[in-house]
Amino acid sequence: MAIKYTLQGLLIYLTMAAFLAAFVATAARRKKAGQWLFAIGFCVSLVSYVYRWIDGRHVPLQNLFEVFLCLGLVCYPISLLSRRGLRIGGQWADMLIAAVVLFPAGFVFHAEQQHLPPALQSWLFVPHVAVYMLAYIFMAMAGARAAIELATADRSISDRILPFEQATYELIALGFPLLTLGLILGSIWGKRAWGDYWGWDPKELWSLASWLVYAGYFHWRYMFGKKHPHINSLWAIAGMAVIIITLLWVNLSRLFPGLHSYAT
Amino acid sequence: MVRLKRPLLWACLIAIAALAILSVYGAFLGAERAQAFFNSVPVAIYWGAFVVLLGAGIVAFRRLRWVPSLLLMHLGCILVVIGGMWGSKPGQDLQQRFLGTERIYKGRMPILEGTSENRVALADSNDTQELPFSIRLREFRIEYYEPGDLYIHSHDGRRWKLPAEPGRTQRLGGDLGTVTIQRVFRNFRMDISGDERIAHDAPGGLNPALEVTIERPDGSTARRYVFLQRAGHHNPDDPLVLAYAQSVRHYISELEVVRDNEVVASKNIRVNHPLYYDGYHFYQHAYGQNQYGNYTVLTVVADSGLRIVYSGYAMLMVGIVWHFWGRPLRSALRHRRSNERDGNQ
Repeated sequence: MAIKYTLQGLLIYLTMAAFLAAFVATAARRKKAGQWLFAIGFCVSLVSYVYRWIDGRHVPLQNLFEVFLCLGLVCYPISLLSRRGLRIGGQWADMLIAAVVLFPAGFVFHAEQQHLPPALQSWLFVPHVAVYMLAYIFMAMAGARAAIELATADRSISDRILPFEQATYELIALGFPLLTLGLILGSIWGKRAWGDYWGWDPKELWSLASWLVYAGYFHWRYMFGKKHPHINSLWAIAGMAVIIITLLWVNLSRLFPGLHSYAT
Repeated sequence: MVRLKRPLLWACLIAIAALAILSVYGAFLGAERAQAFFNSVPVAIYWGAFVVLLGAGIVAFRRLRWVPSLLLMHLGCILVVIGGMWGSKPGQDLQQRFLGTERIYKGRMPILEGTSENRVALADSNDTQELPFSIRLREFRIEYYEPGDLYIHSHDGRRWKLPAEPGRTQRLGGDLGTVTIQRVFRNFRMDISGDERIAHDAPGGLNPALEVTIERPDGSTARRYVFLQRAGHHNPDDPLVLAYAQSVRHYISELEVVRDNEVVASKNIRVNHPLYYDGYHFYQHAYGQNQYGNYTVLTVVADSGLRIVYSGYAMLMVGIVWHFWGRPLRSALRHRRSNERDGNQ
């Protein structure tokens, strides 16, 4: 773990501070201030991302540092969409997620610029990784609502926001097509780059496992509806756990050598 | 049929859970063993049962037949599995046995510069098989990102990187001095006459190098040559280790397809840009040099089942987007319009 004494590092820390301040303000029932701080954090993260893009001369999605930078960037727009468009509450959880996903970029992964290796020079590189990042944040936010649903004793439902079980479903329903698209684009890219649309690589298999967990969630919910809300929530949390393994453990552990090892 | 619905749904859930567990298990095996595992007979039976289960679901559930998005999703999954089985090695072996097809499943093709080749070393045996056409390698070359980088390491673990351009300077701190790149050579040569040594860029050839000066804190200056192709070459008494590196941008093989002594297709292939001809894809796999010159190694892959799989992907994707995004959006818009109408009335 190391502090980054660079402009990029400063921008990341400012973003994290704004997201954490937004979380504290919202938790202290200063909702308006929390929303403003969340929006300010997003603006700083946008500057940070564009700076990285210009500095590296390619879309910053190449390694885990850039991937976490991107995850921090997309939290606010998705949270805004879920609040305004879907009447989903619990924005304080989104603010916390946004701060947490920036932590690895700020303190764990090195930020040294690298040239794109031949395998990443494809038009599929940006859409494949970008849709996965969006999907992961949708699923993380769904997982947070599922955890709140499990933890909250008070089940009173406001007219203005959806119950957390329903909110979890809505977020997964938005993220699932992106998860599917990421898997399919990765498969097409694998065919163009290496000759196999499915190479049985550990990352591919974990990605398939995460897709299947959510496919299972939809079938379970079709069978039982809202009869067992806690089990519905456990599905969503299990899906998130598999995504975390796919994103981090598979790339960092020596247990899973494969074609995606450059992502470290 | 109604009584079958519940068991079918449970069977579907169990099949999904089983595949998720098998995927996790396969991830621990590594790609090669996982491929063998997922192509084994017991798992092939599972794939078959999975397709039957999906088909039975479509027959049993009226909703799956009448809601187009759900139908597309489930048909898409069926096509992906069938296409995968058709294009797999056991699938190709069965086609060879029962349909008499003689297609190459997968193999490698080493080709020397300036020569043609039609023999493919099969991936799963020591045999070779011939293609009905030849591939000619006009030239193989590597393109690098410009400029490269000079890496400077001190013995106490500090490190610096600077672009390999003339005039670039790096201050290393009071105890180590300053490093300056004086010249960049594409093909370094040194002429020695008596005590005089003259470094210069010779035409032709490829021996990239940097001329670097190190101004030490005591005022003395040392001159060093750092070579791209000899990264580990350095003086052990030096307080600094210098390395010159260039990242590869492209591995390029200029290929021609020759059939009946005529060039029928040509392409400069590189990673992500394979050559496609007569049902085969040709990929840049490796390269090397022997006593006869440069050679490239291509991976040859048949496209069996590929169209079925891609059709499945398209149906799955359209179905999922339609179902999870399109339908809710359409109903939300309808809801808004009806609210507006009610408001106007």
